[in-house]
Amino acid sequence: MSKSGSGAVVVLTKTLKEVPAFTAGIKLTLGFVALGAGVELIPPMFVRRVIDSAGDFSKGDIYVWGAVGMTGVVLAALASRAGRTRLAVAAANGLHDLRVRTFERLHYRSILHTQEQRRGALVARVTADIDAIQRFFDWGGVGLLVGLARVVFTLALMFLLSWKLAGLVAITTTLYVFLLVKFQKVLGRAHDRARGSVANALAIAGEAVSGVPTIRAHGAQKHILGRLHKALDREFWADFKARVIGNALFATAELYSGSITAGVVVVGVLIGVRDSFTSGELVAFVLLVALLVDPLQTMVETIDSMQSAAAGLRRIFAVLDADIEVPDAGASGTPLASGGFGLVTSGVNFAYGDGPQVLTDINVEVAAGQRIAVVGETGSGKTTFAKLVVRLMEPTAGEIQLGGIPVSDIPFDSLRSRVTFVPQEGFLLDTTILENVRFGKPEATEADVFKAFTDLGLTDWLSGLPDGLQAAVGERGSKLSAGERQLVALTRAWIVDPDFLVLDEATSAVDPALELQLRDALNRLLKGRTSLTVAHRLSTAQAADSVLVFDQGKLVERGTHAALVDAGGVYTKMFEDWMAGTASSA
Amino acid sequence: MNHPTPSRTAVRREQQLTRLGLSLKRDTIERMVPQPTFRSVLGKGFKLIGRFIKLQPGSFAVAVVGAILFAGAILAASKVVGWITDDVIFAILDNNAEPGPLLRRASYLVFAVAGVKAVGIMGRRVGAGWMQLRNAQGLRFRIVDHILKMDMDWYSKRPVGDMLSVVEADVAFTTQLLAPLPFSIASFILLIGSSGLVLAINSTLGIIVASFLGAVLVLQFRASWVVFKMFAELQRTRGQVAAIAYESFDGALTVKSLGREAAETARLEERSASMRDQQARLVKVGESYRSAVRAVPSAAAVVIVAVGAIQVLSGVLTLGEVASVTYLLSLLFWPIQLVGFVIFSFAASTAGWDRVAGILDVEEFVVHGMDESTAPGEGAEIEVARVSFAYLEGEPVLTDLDLTVPPGRVVAIVGPTASGKTTLAVLLARLWDPRSGVIRLDHRDLAGMAEGVLPDEMAYASQDTFLFDDSVRGNITLGLEIPEEDVLTAVRLAGAEEFVAALPEGMDTRIGERAYALSGGQRQRIALARALVRRPRLLILDDATSAVDPSVETTILKGLRAAELPSTVVIIAYRASSISLSDEVFYLDSGSIVARGTHEELLASQPGYAKLLTAYEAAGEDA
Repeated sequence: MSKSGSGAVVVLTKTLKEVPAFTAGIKLTLGFVALGAGVELIPPMFVRRVIDSAGDFSKGDIYVWGAVGMTGVVLAALASRAGRTRLAVAAANGLHDLRVRTFERLHYRSILHTQEQRRGALVARVTADIDAIQRFFDWGGVGLLVGLARVVFTLALMFLLSWKLAGLVAITTTLYVFLLVKFQKVLGRAHDRARGSVANALAIAGEAVSGVPTIRAHGAQKHILGRLHKALDREFWADFKARVIGNALFATAELYSGSITAGVVVVGVLIGVRDSFTSGELVAFVLLVALLVDPLQTMVETIDSMQSAAAGLRRIFAVLDADIEVPDAGASGTPLASGGFGLVTSGVNFAYGDGPQVLTDINVEVAAGQRIAVVGETGSGKTTFAKLVVRLMEPTAGEIQLGGIPVSDIPFDSLRSRVTFVPQEGFLLDTTILENVRFGKPEATEADVFKAFTDLGLTDWLSGLPDGLQAAVGERGSKLSAGERQLVALTRAWIVDPDFLVLDEATSAVDPALELQLRDALNRLLKGRTSLTVAHRLSTAQAADSVLVFDQGKLVERGTHAALVDAGGVYTKMFEDWMAGTASSA
Repeated sequence: MNHPTPSRTAVRREQQLTRLGLSLKRDTIERMVPQPTFRSVLGKGFKLIGRFIKLQPGSFAVAVVGAILFAGAILAASKVVGWITDDVIFAILDNNAEPGPLLRRASYLVFAVAGVKAVGIMGRRVGAGWMQLRNAQGLRFRIVDHILKMDMDWYSKRPVGDMLSVVEADVAFTTQLLAPLPFSIASFILLIGSSGLVLAINSTLGIIVASFLGAVLVLQFRASWVVFKMFAELQRTRGQVAAIAYESFDGALTVKSLGREAAETARLEERSASMRDQQARLVKVGESYRSAVRAVPSAAAVVIVAVGAIQVLSGVLTLGEVASVTYLLSLLFWPIQLVGFVIFSFAASTAGWDRVAGILDVEEFVVHGMDESTAPGEGAEIEVARVSFAYLEGEPVLTDLDLTVPPGRVVAIVGPTASGKTTLAVLLARLWDPRSGVIRLDHRDLAGMAEGVLPDEMAYASQDTFLFDDSVRGNITLGLEIPEEDVLTAVRLAGAEEFVAALPEGMDTRIGERAYALSGGQRQRIALARALVRRPRLLILDDATSAVDPSVETTILKGLRAAELPSTVVIIAYRASSISLSDEVFYLDSGSIVARGTHEELLASQPGYAKLLTAYEAAGEDA
């Protein structure tokens, strides 16, 4: 789907307005560009001068003209260098601003964690999309401006020489550009198709490479290679077709230039026969026509990169213009009072976008200092509930209060330092364990971090690592096992010293023996603090003060483990399945 | 379900599986050349071009002919302009010649030259495009084919992201030098041809033109080389910026729940700013060269007109000849600017090729045997004899492991984390070969089997499932011709019937990374169906239902037990529910079988086994 050229202009104009770095010092820059574009006009004028003097000049004249011409060339080159450099530097500044703003906005919005499958695509907002705009500036944007300046100057000079001939050139050029823009749309569509099939082929190649173990275990090499071959072939033809169209368009510029040269000679001679148009002027005119063609060709090629850039910009503005789903209460909010606090939810509903209701009418009251377990099957809404409590998302209806204050009124500064959430997949940065724990509390010293591990009884594990706290965890923590990553994530939450801890299956991958030990430590540490634990093992529920049972988005049961087991409801069934899965009944 | 629940599979992934390379790492665009020399780049570049020409000689010929036509047309155009100036414009305007026939001839000539030039441009560009795209296509296919043949030792040592980046970015870089190649050839023809042409008109002007063009070439090559090095540096920073974005967005939940958005933005801003500064430096240096290069034709023209005018004064030259030379210079304006680009594309392409060759030149292929025999009967007999294995030298995972499973038996392999269970499974599936010892299936050495024999008899479902961007059916059959009825049976046995039916297009729904997002448990059930539909003689289930809800898992296991599969089954499991499916349990610890027997026997005789299986319950009771 190719957007029209005018659409591209609209979004480019908006960009220039919203990112002032792009247009800083633009007047001076344009002045330099204009001056620089004059450089190629000097030789034709010089030729005209020589020819029109029809041999009636002295060597002295030539030296003067030559010196003037050479000075002009040098000045224009310097101006052109200044203009282009300033344009490109302004572009680099603007793109930097745009990248940082988009990145920041994405973090303050909720799409990154509510639509995880789109993360890869969102990375493209600050990489590939910005790169497309950069390419436009590198290859087109500057060239477009310079080319435009050249066309304007050349035409102006032509009008000075002969308004009749210049009029002819101007009208035919306009017609030609009009046709080019029309066909550019055909080309744009072909390019879109090509891009689509390139993406498809690369995805299939990617699958084959990342799925090697699966492919080999099932002996599916031939099948996969067949698919790849087909996709690559489709890519080739789509790409090739687009290029043929582009090349044909490019080549028409030659035919245009040929016709216009012939036209200028013919008409010019006829005018010259009747009026007082000199041969020198006509020759200069023919030389000027040649100068008109190159910038036009470049501009045609630029339209395509302009459309890619515009598409990237549109996607970026879709991020920047959308509201932050969960806004900070900021200074006008009410911070949490010191000491422990409880949780109250009333009539809470939640749905992702227009999707089905994930939570319906959740009413919960948790007193300060209580330990709550949340259980339910996959898709029951228990993780969503935990995320709402820490205000990673906003309920679609109802209210959540912490310590009597609606969570939406608590500034994030206060909320994030008193309430910590530990997700199931403890995400680690590609650095040391020390730095990863410090991510929770940047001001913590190495001794603080070590103490946090000691608190949780993890010193044995830590001393088993080759470099202890300084051990590098690798990309996404890949040098640690999933369980070990969870240990670091838990410590990172603990060092914040929260009054309210929300754990979402935060120890699910930890070795059973170690988990036992960890649970004892947490029981000790969490005394006087409130906790909400989304549990995968019902043994956690057995130890909680109270259990909340979720089923298909509703809170169906609540009470102590013992009471729920006897109740004969959802929990009883879950407990039976759980018991069936453990050793005693196998 | 609208949102995908983070799969428990990912969380439970063991370190060994990460070593298998099953995690898809981020794509890295960085990693340009280390420090190539000008000479090595030229040498390698020409060799590379030779290789590509050999593969696509036809399109190369078309491109070269196009380039010659193009260059010829430009040279002809300058002659035509000279002729028009002297024999048309002056003749008519200054000497009152008859305009009609002269103008007609002039028009024909101009059109003819323009036509030849247009055809030349088409031939040049279309030929180059075909050559570049076909070579890229062929190279991509070859790389993937090559990777599929390599053994896991090699595969597991390379991050998947790196391999993908070779297939995508490096192939594009490598073939990039083919696009401007014909134009460069045309430019060289032009530069030499125009010097010659001017030389033929007048030796003084010829020498001036040739020396200006020589200066431009030197300037261009220097500029291109300097700019390339800065560009490589910039690309590295670009890669770092991308890496920060990938990492930071991956950890978005953690970033937000710890309120670290501003700190993360600052982290990106620092790298992005340094990228901006490098970009600005590159532009400044590049533009200094480029504006000099751009000024050369104009400067040359001024000198030529001045010198030419003096020659005209002394009657050596006509004004038309001066105009012709000036026109020629104006036509050289673009070719001259692009000639230097060749060195740039040489440098980028050879750097890309080094990484492509890093895969294609290594031939650590899986070696298949000649044994084409197939064994009769339903269940296979497994014999593992004195097998030792280590992923990395000095870190043994399995030591002298012995194990036999009679045909049709269902056995469970149970052991603590990192005891080597998954490793045993991947050895049975022959994803890896033992470092010593032998594994036999019905008395045939796995390593001696011909290609394709083992996958026909064995199916392997792991806890980490890989789905292809294909329909549910396509993901299950993986290209095999299987009656729909059998596929549906497998789907039912795998407990996937209900959710597959609820998908928008049922069995035809596209799943995989880029389409319908399934939950971890659903993915595992598709993979289980994929294994079951093959009716293998040996079925290996490696924690294959770990992400499935317990109640669903119970149903699946009951179904499997009732189905009387035609297979010998090896189950690797944590949960007692899966173990209960087995006739016999092998207790694995620290890389060897410690004990074997029924579940009850082991509970009674092996304290370690009992402790492992009761850990969760104990946890519950203690608390």
